[in-house]
Amino acid sequence: MRQAFFPSLCLLLLLVFANNSLATIDVYEFDSPELEARFKVLIHELRCPKCQNQNLAGSNSTLSLDLKMIVYEKLKAGESDQQIVDFMKQRYGEFILFKPEMNQDNVFLWLAPLIFSIIFILVFVRWYMTHKEVEDD
Amino acid sequence: MMKKNSGNVFLSVLAILLFIAAFIWFYWLTGQDKTELPSQLIDSPAPTFKVVDLLDESIVHTQEEFKGKISLVNIWASWCPSCYVEHPYWKEYSKNEDIVLVGLNYRDKKQKALKFIREQGDYYDWTLFDENGRLGIEFGVYGAPETFLIDREGKIRYRHVGVVDRKVYNEVFLPLIDKIKKGF
Repeated sequence: MRQAFFPSLCLLLLLVFANNSLATIDVYEFDSPELEARFKVLIHELRCPKCQNQNLAGSNSTLSLDLKMIVYEKLKAGESDQQIVDFMKQRYGEFILFKPEMNQDNVFLWLAPLIFSIIFILVFVRWYMTHKEVEDD
Repeated sequence: MMKKNSGNVFLSVLAILLFIAAFIWFYWLTGQDKTELPSQLIDSPAPTFKVVDLLDESIVHTQEEFKGKISLVNIWASWCPSCYVEHPYWKEYSKNEDIVLVGLNYRDKKQKALKFIREQGDYYDWTLFDENGRLGIEFGVYGAPETFLIDREGKIRYRHVGVVDRKVYNEVFLPLIDKIKKGF
């Protein structure tokens, strides 16, 4: 009886906390499934400025909750995805986007794979042609 | 044959040099403090707002009040431990007659904010009560404390994230305030 007490207490505590965590999930009501889908995409593409390695969807910081609410309110008010992203960028910069747009600071990152691939192909083709000529001779 | 080989050598050297350049660049990027985000509002006008005063809700403040003065806007909250460390410094800085000190009480409960002011002292010329944090978001705030320097035209000139201790105040804020006073 006494042995069963501790596991039962743990189980009870787990249930209590599980209930609490459910209670903190925000409920956003949408007029259409399309609007809800856009909301989900936006909160996955926008980064939490406070926690940095999480998107708005995955963060429960107060700032993220506020920003999620702003996304929700703006969608309900009829704003486009681009308008909402621009609003966030004006306040938190490019950093708020999980998929950064190409600009002069990151152009090399975007183009590096292409540049290295072209160089690799050129070197390979020249090497292949040279060896082919040697074999033909 | 010789020409093709020299072409291969050139491309290989180019690839290696590019790779080294990319490595150095990446190393430089990772060495930067990515937690400190530059404000997007530097040299832009302060956001437009209409927000009530913390101490007197009948007073409504707007961004127009920044014009003609050099203002320091300090974002604070009673739930922010660093704000308790920072607050005594404002007693010293409030003696500087060149600046107006504006508090922005961010995402706080009114009673707790008033208790903070009562216990820690009120050194602000006026304090905005931003209960839902929307004004903070307009400023691009991502925590507390943060401090914005606003010039006489109402433009944001600098944002500091964290405690404005004597070193930050003397080495960063005072030179900038002097610059603004000289008309830069």
